[in-house]
Amino acid sequence: MRRRPGIGGLQNAAAARDQYRLLGENVAKLRTDLMKEQLATFRSQLEDFARKHKNDIRKNPAFRAQFHEMCAKVGVDPLASNKGFWAELLGIGDFYYELGVQIIEVCLATRPHNGGLISLDDLCKLLGQRRKAVRETISEDDCLRAISKLKVLGSGYEVITVGKRKLVRSVPTELNKDHNEILELAQAQGFVTVDEVQRRLNWSSGRATDALETLLEEGLAMIDDGHRDGRRRYWFPCVSSVSSYVGTDAL
Amino acid sequence: MAGNWLPAAQLTGSGRPVLEPGEVECSLLSSVDLLSEENPNFPHLKSGLLILTTHRLIWVQESSTTSPPTAVFIPLSAVTHIFSLKKSIKSMFASPRFRFQASLKGMMVVITLILRGKSDIDSFLEKFWEAWRRKAWEDGVVKSGPEVSGSGHGSGGDGGFAVRMPVVGVAGILRKEQEMWENTDKSLQDAFQDLNALMGKAKEMVMLAERMRTKLLSGSTSQATGTNDEEIGTKEEMQELLLSVGIVSPVTKESAGALYHQQLSRQLADFVKIPLERSGGMINLIDIYCLFNRARGTELISPDDLLRACSLWEKFDVPVMLRKFDSDVMVIQSKSHSDDEVFTRIRSLVTTPDTLRAGITASDAAMTLGIAPAMAKEHLLAAEAKGLLCRDVSPDGFRFFVNLLQEIDADDIFLVKEYGIYHTWIKAISAAR
Repeated sequence: MRRRPGIGGLQNAAAARDQYRLLGENVAKLRTDLMKEQLATFRSQLEDFARKHKNDIRKNPAFRAQFHEMCAKVGVDPLASNKGFWAELLGIGDFYYELGVQIIEVCLATRPHNGGLISLDDLCKLLGQRRKAVRETISEDDCLRAISKLKVLGSGYEVITVGKRKLVRSVPTELNKDHNEILELAQAQGFVTVDEVQRRLNWSSGRATDALETLLEEGLAMIDDGHRDGRRRYWFPCVSSVSSYVGTDAL
Repeated sequence: MAGNWLPAAQLTGSGRPVLEPGEVECSLLSSVDLLSEENPNFPHLKSGLLILTTHRLIWVQESSTTSPPTAVFIPLSAVTHIFSLKKSIKSMFASPRFRFQASLKGMMVVITLILRGKSDIDSFLEKFWEAWRRKAWEDGVVKSGPEVSGSGHGSGGDGGFAVRMPVVGVAGILRKEQEMWENTDKSLQDAFQDLNALMGKAKEMVMLAERMRTKLLSGSTSQATGTNDEEIGTKEEMQELLLSVGIVSPVTKESAGALYHQQLSRQLADFVKIPLERSGGMINLIDIYCLFNRARGTELISPDDLLRACSLWEKFDVPVMLRKFDSDVMVIQSKSHSDDEVFTRIRSLVTTPDTLRAGITASDAAMTLGIAPAMAKEHLLAAEAKGLLCRDVSPDGFRFFVNLLQEIDADDIFLVKEYGIYHTWIKAISAAR
């Protein structure tokens, strides 16, 4: 296009630029959409293959490596065994082992948010999302069975009951840094309440209660139900010197 | 030892071979001799571990008294002929052996492998043949070429295509774009016809996956078109977190046979190094079970196998150990994070002027050492059992003091040795008053 002088020429050029830009955007959008579509096909095909040809894939080490690479790149979980009749009945086969690995994975991935305490409901929901392709819902019973298979590796994962809800705890007491945070919090007054822990540290009530109960069991905390506001206070004599809590009592 | 003839193979800290990119382990045999019957100068390598990979034949000296085991390899590309097995009456009594010819240092050498262990020579030979014929080492060399043009083609703007079709103006670009999509569609269809087709096209598909991934990831960050994109993004992040530390060549029962647990144990020791560093020297065994299995892809191992692999660590010289707490919780910890190191820190903790006077509690130790209170208590009790600390049980709680009794002489209890802890303690106490 030859550039013409004058305002008209400038306006023309601007309009042309706009049109090119519009076209470019359309193409880019089309491209992403197509890409997504192809990615979806790719994914579902890989998932199918992972399920149908599991044993054949395992027989060929070189191909297996490539297959894993594909799965990793497009975000497909290569573990996709069906539960099947025998798994359900006898608990044999790879199903519960695979589910176990996926359960731990969910726990690991959500740990930064929940401190290693996840309700069984949420766990099932997240697992269901990951196993969409298998089209098989994961029941709580399946989860419990899969977790019980991990018992061989020590009692690092526990199913605990808080109120009516079942929670899965993936951080054993020995490795739980939540307790340190509570101790730090308690340093100010010598005691904390469940509410305070929830509010100040932004934790769920289950997480706060569980941590405090464990500290109580460990003998680090003492409870005091006798206060006027009716809230249970967890005292930590270990973090505050005697003089400081005499001081707060006097207030 | 065999340096003149055979190049040395690199080993990991736990004595497993370091594999090249794209190299995959196919089979392992124990107690194999490697020698050349015709050439007396060729070293006689006795009773080692033989590892067949897609690229090499690696011979590793089986754990001996000399600390770093040596390893050598023969590239499969140097193998010129594999002799078929001779069946005779004699061979039924002797240890099975087979020979192959290789060109090493410009010379043709016939190498004999003698299998002293109980192993299936036929299946090994079959795998050897397969790996040799497959010529996987060539893929790596060729790959570097097309990969460059492949990525160019992926970025969508240029070269290879332009030559074939005249690209004129916007229409040309659009046409090119469309053709690219049709090609991708077609290759996807072709590849997923059946397993063999996928195997044949595996390399291409891996590249396609990579291309899609980079494009979509870059797309979603620059445009952020909607929740759907974000969902894919986070999902992939999560996957990446765990799959990024992939083990290309997992030890399997099929490849390692009788050596399965031993090799698994070594591979695990190499593997845990990174997660262990990230989590500060100690990690839940169950977490490792997940990470390790994830890295292995479809080659799941059972919890029992993992436990067995961990318990074998005692026999090898590896920098990690399995630890079991009284509460039945099992963790993996690095040896540098061991009790001795912790005791040194506890000692320095209890010998400051303040703590000499008032002692420490488990929670003090937890906060100073940056570990969980329950863990700190374990450490303090262990230190007490060692005689480093003394406990004091009072209404104030459970407190630990440095053990002065060791320094007190039974014959003269009032003797204060200068510069001992007792001396420092007396100074601290009197200063407080």
